[in-house]
Amino acid sequence: MTDLDDRDDVFEDLEVEPEVPEYKSKVGKKRFKTKAAKTIETEKSEIVGYRQQPGKLDFTRPGSGGSSPLSERRDPKMIPRSQGGELEQPWGPHRHDSLVTGRVIGKRTALIDSKWKVTGQAVYGDDVRLPGEIIGRLVRSDRHYARVLSVDVTEAEAMPGVLATATGLDAPSAFGVLPVTKDEHAMAIEKVRHIGDIIACVAAEDEATARIASQAVRVEYQDLDPIFDMRDGLKDSENPIHDRGVYHIGESNVQKRVFQRFGRISDIEDSVASYERDWTFKGVNHGFTEPHAVVAHWDPRGRLTLYTPQQVPHYVHRALADVLNIPMHQINVHRTYVGGGFGGKSDPFPHEMCAAILARKTGRPVRITFDREEVFWTNRGRHPSRISMAIHADEEGRFSGIETDALIDGGGFASFGHVTTYYNGVLHTAPYEIGAFHYTGARVWTNKPASGAMRGHGAVNSRCAVEVGIDDISEQLGVDPIDLRLANLLPPHSATITGFRVTSIGMRECLERVRKESNWEKKFRKMPLGKGIGVGCGFFISGSGLPIHWDPNKFPHATVHLKIDMDGGVTVHTGAADIGQGSDTVVGQAVAEVLGLPMDMIRIKSKESDTSPVDLGSYSSRVTFMNANAAVSAAMEIRSDLITAASSILDLDESKLVLGDRRIFSKRNPEVGISYLEALHKAQEDRGALVASGSYRTPPMGKMHKGAAAGLAPAYSFSAYVAEVDVDVETGSIKVEKVWAAHDCGKALNPLSVEGQIIGSCHMGLGQVISEEMKYGRTGNLLNPDLLGYKIPTVHEMPEVVPIIVESNDPEGPFGAKEAGEGPLLPILPAVCNAVYDAIGVRTSELPLTPDKLFRSIEKACSKKGISDPRDLPNPKLELKPLSKILKKRAKDHSSRDRKRRLDSSPEAYFNGQLFGQEPSNPPEENDPEWMVQVIPDKEYLENPKLAGSAWLHKERRHRRASE
Amino acid sequence: MAGLPLPIAGGASTKVWSATINGKNQQCIIKEHDLLLDVLRDGLGSLGTKRGCDMGTCGCCSILIDGKPRLSCMTLAVEVEGRSITTVEGLSDGHHLHPIQTMFAECGGSQCGFCTPGFLVVSAALLDTNPEPTRQEAEDAIEGNLCRCTGYQQIVDSIMEASKMLTGIGGQQPTTRPASDPNPMFGG
Repeated sequence: MTDLDDRDDVFEDLEVEPEVPEYKSKVGKKRFKTKAAKTIETEKSEIVGYRQQPGKLDFTRPGSGGSSPLSERRDPKMIPRSQGGELEQPWGPHRHDSLVTGRVIGKRTALIDSKWKVTGQAVYGDDVRLPGEIIGRLVRSDRHYARVLSVDVTEAEAMPGVLATATGLDAPSAFGVLPVTKDEHAMAIEKVRHIGDIIACVAAEDEATARIASQAVRVEYQDLDPIFDMRDGLKDSENPIHDRGVYHIGESNVQKRVFQRFGRISDIEDSVASYERDWTFKGVNHGFTEPHAVVAHWDPRGRLTLYTPQQVPHYVHRALADVLNIPMHQINVHRTYVGGGFGGKSDPFPHEMCAAILARKTGRPVRITFDREEVFWTNRGRHPSRISMAIHADEEGRFSGIETDALIDGGGFASFGHVTTYYNGVLHTAPYEIGAFHYTGARVWTNKPASGAMRGHGAVNSRCAVEVGIDDISEQLGVDPIDLRLANLLPPHSATITGFRVTSIGMRECLERVRKESNWEKKFRKMPLGKGIGVGCGFFISGSGLPIHWDPNKFPHATVHLKIDMDGGVTVHTGAADIGQGSDTVVGQAVAEVLGLPMDMIRIKSKESDTSPVDLGSYSSRVTFMNANAAVSAAMEIRSDLITAASSILDLDESKLVLGDRRIFSKRNPEVGISYLEALHKAQEDRGALVASGSYRTPPMGKMHKGAAAGLAPAYSFSAYVAEVDVDVETGSIKVEKVWAAHDCGKALNPLSVEGQIIGSCHMGLGQVISEEMKYGRTGNLLNPDLLGYKIPTVHEMPEVVPIIVESNDPEGPFGAKEAGEGPLLPILPAVCNAVYDAIGVRTSELPLTPDKLFRSIEKACSKKGISDPRDLPNPKLELKPLSKILKKRAKDHSSRDRKRRLDSSPEAYFNGQLFGQEPSNPPEENDPEWMVQVIPDKEYLENPKLAGSAWLHKERRHRRASE
Repeated sequence: MAGLPLPIAGGASTKVWSATINGKNQQCIIKEHDLLLDVLRDGLGSLGTKRGCDMGTCGCCSILIDGKPRLSCMTLAVEVEGRSITTVEGLSDGHHLHPIQTMFAECGGSQCGFCTPGFLVVSAALLDTNPEPTRQEAEDAIEGNLCRCTGYQQIVDSIMEASKMLTGIGGQQPTTRPASDPNPMFGG
């Protein structure tokens, strides 16, 4: 018997018919007679033999995709028009269209790890229980600002059950999330800078002993004069909170200052309407439900594993190596489930270093868990800020200028402060075309817990001021605020005044959708006293153009590895930190879609730095954009391997094959095809498991001036909200009734998550606008370091939110997607403020709008108008002026211009300034000598600087030295 | 405040404590001042019950005592000796999840998932006494729990969907597919 006969026997024994003849009976002769099918039939024995040798897997078993070839493999409703499907593409085709199988992307998908969460099996920071684990406690400062003269741990160490103590001497290296501002230490070295600053730590067998021991550490202080008011930070001080050496700005506490001037500043004088207001924003905490917790464990080989709920494990990894003075390869950072981050778990933290130091000393795993009070002392929440906002409009209803001066209170450390200082300015010009932009910003150190990154990083407060200003301007001009916005938007594929490259922009659609859905025309300025409606817009980066540790490395921003072995399941290695936003799910979706697999076959390994490629972490809304892009490029490699294998089995041209649910088949004749497993095994014959690596890096963008990189992103998200409120004029309490929230996320890869992000953002922003604030008393004490005094809205404060997803199909996003995590937070603040004005005619300039504050404003308005009963307050009315018609027409013209541009595959360049008569295809500064790009203040400005601008009155030490 | 001594009783006496945890009678040695939350997490290994705020404001540590929602960080273990306690781990029956668990996963009721165990037991208790709650009743039931991710809307959606599933309204069957299915129905 020959081998060939043998194979035939096997084939007959198994009674498995080759697939092609089976189709014959089902689909009839005519369709069967394709060239490919014929080839298969003639070479039947050989192919069957290849597939059915003894010991080979049975490709009809569950999960192989082999049986029922006629089932619905692809969802034509989700396949784009450009690929012959039914999905409308009003924004044109996308480079990933050919990869769409229509089964996963765009479908409401439960989070891949949700079953762990709902069964209580998800392991968060404090749930890591290792054998022999001991408890660490931190000794915290009870002084605002003091020199630490001595730390005496002898008494604590002598206590039974105490295993080790550590002080600042154990870890003298400084660290910080930004390489340019490393100003934190594991434990205080010389000074403590706020109440709650860490001085020492102890490790003991149980928590009670650790707590008692931590109180037995004796610290000798020499008090220094603390500062709490951010305005004091601008002045010279005897003891600046930090010393930045030659880079120190005078003798002040200014950590960072920014000066930017763009456009024709002189034209501001010709404005016909202006809004000028000084805003005060209180500090806000993230309020995540999981307090910080960490477990450190040195294994017997001397490697450290740090279990920590971190958004940005890679930066912790770097900081640990610095502080512990060990190579990075000796450290494994294990990200546990993260119980909420919102930016608050993105710094490397001192307590993470403390746990590692204590574990090194004791040789036992050490766990440190925070009380809620400690979470507030660690803070890193939104900066308290004083923003002076001026917006000007000319007689044609164009924004001739925005002048912003933002002083932000950084607290005790730098954290992300460099970036925040820029973001307070540069993120609030777009999506509008403006004539001039002048921003001065400064961040100061004060003796309070450090502020840092929080959802909507740096952009939230200034955006609120801008949008309220636009509302006020529209009233002065006698136009509808939505019309005013629609007539001043940048088109797709344009550059903003600060030089950001905007690709897709769905702002117009967002505004039009909320206007329609909220029934705006019937309600605005037409409702009775106490009822109001308001609009606000937002703009946010989708991934930061430069990584934080950009200098000197040129690594990609995101990398994803894929591995597929015999079993057919896909293992995805990514470093993206899933903090509950669903990044694991979205990366898995991208892979599943490209490979035509169900989500069950995808497993994500994203937790450990040992097994994950380096990823920069979950900040600046970068994960979906960058990691899904990297995942798509990795999956495309595997896809092409599979298609090559399938093509050689089927003898069909590669270009004629498509993937569907676990099958690779002819696009024209879906019956002709093979199962995914079959193709996989064929592809694996030469080299075993299929592996692929994909990465993403941002394209070169932006201008060259100092600070031009801050705010650069490969794409930007846009949003517009309308909020309806009910204000009780007699008590000043606000009830937000309903919010229509339109967000342009490019393409909703997982609409369930996008909606969740939109509603969640509304919740967080609403907290900042109606109730949340970190209250500091007269003597600088934090008065509400707990969730009772820090008022997070409960279910009863939440309005009904109508999430509206606008899909602008970003050319560079994965399947067209942009961010949806942070941008949706921005518009809720101004929308509510504007609605309150519509309801009672009172403009506010201080958040949160607690009833006491609002009532005081109402009283003031009453006495100004000579009204005794607040119920007699006149609410604002709108009288449309002729300008309104001009704006409507301009909006219409721009709308058709935008539609043309977004469908144009290579549109002409458009630089901010055309609306003001500049040539749109050149940067205006090249055409117009009066168009400024200035980043250092001139003498004239320094003669009369604004509040934050006065930071420029100091001279950096290095320059001072040179001049002296 | 960091510098003030915390009220820690050093010499509290220990005792043997027993209660029915998720239908199973369990014993452990506790100190008399131990909080139920600590006993559950450290003594009995029920790590699904979370500690969020230490002072009864966030609801993450919610559990059911004799079927009623209580905060385990506000309850001394000795108070509930011998009672029946249900934690999130007790909601599912083997592979079969409680409808509320399935719907929290499917409807986005859980994002970061830290507050989820608290919401789950509270909503399960609601559905136990009132299988067809109105949206308002569902909101009232979860008013003591804080969630920072979802804005509550998808949580209330999940409760309403779970109610449909439990009562069979809207074509849903009152049984759910197992979470970790030993026989996955891949279909092909």
